[in-house]
Amino acid sequence: MARFANGKAPFLRKTDDLTYGTQVIMRDFLIGLIPLILFAWYKNGIKVYVEGNATLLEMFYPIIFIMLGGLISMVIEGLFFIITDKEVRTLKVMMKKLQLSYAMIPGILLAMILPLYTPIWVLIFGCIMATFVTKLLFGGFGYNIFNPALIGYVAIAFTLMGVINKAGGVLNGSEVLIDAIAGATPLSTLSTTNLLSYQTLVAPYGSLWNFFIGTIPGALAETSALACIISFVWLSARKVIKWFVPVIYIGTVFGLSWLIGIFNGQAGIWFPTFSILSGGLMFGAVFMATEPVTTPKNPLGKIVFALFLGVFTVLFRFIGQYPEGVATSIIFMNIFTMPIDKWTSVIRTQGVTKKTIIKIIILAILIIAIATYALIKANSIYSASIGLPLYIGGWN
Amino acid sequence: MIIHKAKGIWIDGKKTMSKTLPMHEYLNPPFVYIPLLQQASPLKRIVEIGDKVAIGQTVALREGFGAMPIHASVSGTVTAIKKVWHASGRMVEAIEIQNDFQNRMDESIHVQTDVSLLSRNDLVIKMQQAGLSGLGGAGFPTYIKYQAKCPIDVVIINAVECEPYLTCDYMLINSYPEKLLKGLSYFMRAADAKKGVVAFKAYNTHIKESLEPLLLNYPGIELYEVKDIYPAGWEKYIVQKITKKSYSGLPAEAGAIVDNSATAIVFADVVEKNIPLISRVITISGEGIKNPQNFYVPLGTLVKELILLAGGYIEGLDPTKAWYIAGGPMTGRAILIDDLIVNDTLGSVIVKPMPEELKHPACLGCGKCADVCPVYLTPTEIQRAFESKDTKAIKELNAQKCMQCGLCSYVCPSHIEIADYVARAKELLRKGA
Repeated sequence: MARFANGKAPFLRKTDDLTYGTQVIMRDFLIGLIPLILFAWYKNGIKVYVEGNATLLEMFYPIIFIMLGGLISMVIEGLFFIITDKEVRTLKVMMKKLQLSYAMIPGILLAMILPLYTPIWVLIFGCIMATFVTKLLFGGFGYNIFNPALIGYVAIAFTLMGVINKAGGVLNGSEVLIDAIAGATPLSTLSTTNLLSYQTLVAPYGSLWNFFIGTIPGALAETSALACIISFVWLSARKVIKWFVPVIYIGTVFGLSWLIGIFNGQAGIWFPTFSILSGGLMFGAVFMATEPVTTPKNPLGKIVFALFLGVFTVLFRFIGQYPEGVATSIIFMNIFTMPIDKWTSVIRTQGVTKKTIIKIIILAILIIAIATYALIKANSIYSASIGLPLYIGGWN
Repeated sequence: MIIHKAKGIWIDGKKTMSKTLPMHEYLNPPFVYIPLLQQASPLKRIVEIGDKVAIGQTVALREGFGAMPIHASVSGTVTAIKKVWHASGRMVEAIEIQNDFQNRMDESIHVQTDVSLLSRNDLVIKMQQAGLSGLGGAGFPTYIKYQAKCPIDVVIINAVECEPYLTCDYMLINSYPEKLLKGLSYFMRAADAKKGVVAFKAYNTHIKESLEPLLLNYPGIELYEVKDIYPAGWEKYIVQKITKKSYSGLPAEAGAIVDNSATAIVFADVVEKNIPLISRVITISGEGIKNPQNFYVPLGTLVKELILLAGGYIEGLDPTKAWYIAGGPMTGRAILIDDLIVNDTLGSVIVKPMPEELKHPACLGCGKCADVCPVYLTPTEIQRAFESKDTKAIKELNAQKCMQCGLCSYVCPSHIEIADYVARAKELLRKGA
């Protein structure tokens, strides 16, 4: 007679196979960032160097900057562990712990969405906001309510944007020399001129093709839609993210922007295309809106979440004070992750019944109402442009 | 409703392990132990210590719901009433019968000459008299299903055998394909159903090969292939696939009755020879067993003897670092002491060394548990409701619909015992209500 171990069914786990598990998911996530980092290096480093507007060190600066973000986050989290956790006394234990809490990810993501010439101390401030305030104070990996990198970004954007602009802002060594670009991103042009016109929004940067490739001014690594799409395909194939979340999010923004364009005399497809290719929408949709910890867990919840993100992004982008609508809308929706998860998991399991119909109607009304409000508001802001001679065109 | 598509995932079945050796018939163990428990109902013993019993003689009675007799599986003497380890994970009183190796049959066992004259009611009474219960794992009394008031269109034989490692049904069908179809045709007569279906998993081409040539003699019986996913052997899934109807309680609501293939094979003997349910096939498998194989044994045999016959444990097996699982690895139960007996619901015993314990990160919220759930639950939400003891929320989240397939724990990348949380939430609901 022998005594055997106790255990809980199922006695088979997918994690028994070491090619599966949270570690692997996070590794795949980091691999998914590579196309964007490489593109950022190409656009802000190699290309500028080749054109003769940067030194050799400056050529490597984009990569160094992103790695630095990850490193700073790890240092902050390591210090936190040394102070709070008595078990962490050796470097080996600490590295193990940092590995299990994926300390570098917020820092890397934050560095990727900041302008190239952000001073290092601003990056450190952002990393403290991201790692310490948003992640560690809420209980560490898996317990944060807000997306750490986005909180870091928003904290910087609302307080230190002036410092960044003084230090060089979003334009890299080559872009500064182009007169047509008035020191701004396409979206900030839109928010200052309130003009829906191809000439002011797209023409200075070449064509929409440049928007797609990503050779337009913008934050370090978020300008390229192409790189985002490559990452999207990789992450979806590896089942790190749900493919429908970015698709619904971007689709909603596309549709609503199209309507705004039509109502304001821009029937061309260029405007919604411009709308989804500019700013951090692609990046936010692929990497932030799908971030597992801070978004709903059940598939229906994810769909509802993405729809809300779409309408709020349009609302904030075309009506708000700030040019960028993606970061604020994702952070805003993070607050509602828990109630959305609660409601949608009931709706999902019970189906459409007398009990759930009210919840469904409320969710639908909310989405439609916000979208309608955004459309009406946008109408009153941009209708001034109707009187002007319009460029109604497409891709040329 | 959210689109009802075939949920579930492919799991490595590890079935070849116990398929290589032929089925081992071990019909005369020195002792058998008839447990005085079936499902959750205790049985009433009707023999005393010292009584001589014959094979097929009634030794205990199940009373109340599912009332039926339970029979001795060997001939010999009742020597003790003893507590033994049972597949339910508890110690249960059992009748110990010492085998006299004379194989004396009870007079109730005789060849039925007028099989074709048996009426529908006769067949249902035979099921009850034989103590026939589902051999798939739930152990539901079979005759109850055939007393249902709803009209039955189709009798489905579940030969899917979803659980990894298990090959007991597969081996039995390959040995007795004719008996399976006979049993099914009697089931169809007992239910007055026109149609019979044998559902099997796609990779089990052997079942198809052995059954197909025989189908000519059995009008109304078809084969149905289900996808190689887990849990495709789930009753509700099979019924929905075949009848295209959904139901909430019993399959009879959709005009179907589902029986396990082993039950059908036993029923063929019940009808033709009046042999009650006294034996079954059990898979002894897992990485911790030297020669994994299937055994055909009388109910009440000690699993210990079977493991010895299978070569014993592998050398160097540390029991404290291994599981001894009663039932399949997905839904089974860890038994702490290897002193189990074979009962009607025990399809397998798996001995499996534990994988190396790793440190796992917290829930990252990937939602894979919700994606994979065949009944569209969100286990993470149920866990949250359970932790705050919010029975109203647990009910709203339909935790009672969980059929404990274990897939949520299986896919969890952070190795969280999420299925256990749902099971405990379910328990809380039952107690609270």
